[in-house]
Amino acid sequence: MNKQLIIIPIVIFSLILLTFFYLLSIERNPSNIPSNLLEKKVPNFESESLLKNYIFDSSKEFNDEITLVNFFATWCKPCKEEHVYIKRFAKEEKIRVIGINYKDSTKKTIKWLGDLGNPYSNVLLDKNGRIAIDWGVYGIPETFIVSSEGIIKYRHAGPITKKIYKKINKIIMEID
Amino acid sequence: MLKNIFIVLISVFLVHISSNISYTIEPDEILNDQKQELRARNISKKIRCVVCQNQSIDESNAPLAKDLRILIKNKIKEGSSDKEIYKFLTDRYGDFILLKPPFKLSTLMLWFMPFVFFIIGILFLFYHNKKSKKFN
Repeated sequence: MNKQLIIIPIVIFSLILLTFFYLLSIERNPSNIPSNLLEKKVPNFESESLLKNYIFDSSKEFNDEITLVNFFATWCKPCKEEHVYIKRFAKEEKIRVIGINYKDSTKKTIKWLGDLGNPYSNVLLDKNGRIAIDWGVYGIPETFIVSSEGIIKYRHAGPITKKIYKKINKIIMEID
Repeated sequence: MLKNIFIVLISVFLVHISSNISYTIEPDEILNDQKQELRARNISKKIRCVVCQNQSIDESNAPLAKDLRILIKNKIKEGSSDKEIYKFLTDRYGDFILLKPPFKLSTLMLWFMPFVFFIIGILFLFYHNKKSKKFN
């Protein structure tokens, strides 16, 4: 009986150890927060457009094609690093790329886009960060893929790298 | 001597606490209505700063924490209930934004496992003692 009982804590301890090693070995970032908006409709919001003279109404805008929504700012260094991939997405026929300019100066954004190239079909202004809160954004850059039915299919927090670029392309192929 | 050191340590601790309060909440954020301000502070203490993660938005200096504090205050001014405010935040950031995980099916393990381990420990000790007594 005693011998059998001793096995219990050993088994539990081994399980805990295995769990720790498993979590250490898999590729994951514990500071990454899972998005609560996946498989949900895009949030309702209205916004001014940077280069077009009209008010963007989200309830009317996400109903016809796959859209990549990218939160960016000129003061954010990783946004500059990922810009090359945003430009690549803009060249693809299957998707429309929208930028949401987070807490930034209009003047600086126009210059930034002029210098680096403007991949966005529309640049929306989020002056006080309220739109970002509606999208559950906790740090920029963040990128979302929205299906042609207006459902959020994917969220990436952080800059787009070559690996993420490939991953997003795969997701776009799947939902197309 | 020891008494003096103790007084200095307590003073440093109190200064630290008071300074912490003064530099997180900025004067322009404070509501005129004290009751509403208290409600907002109570909610803010239960909301995790998603940038710093181990602090509440009440303690955090992160810009997003400030935005969320202001949002909570605006919601209170508009007449939203505490429940509605928590729902608004968890709809966008998930349960992760709550410092205290909610009690529901997916968090049952989190709430009950410590008790299960505790009972296993007690049972183990009980049987172990019984066996030792028999042996003696």
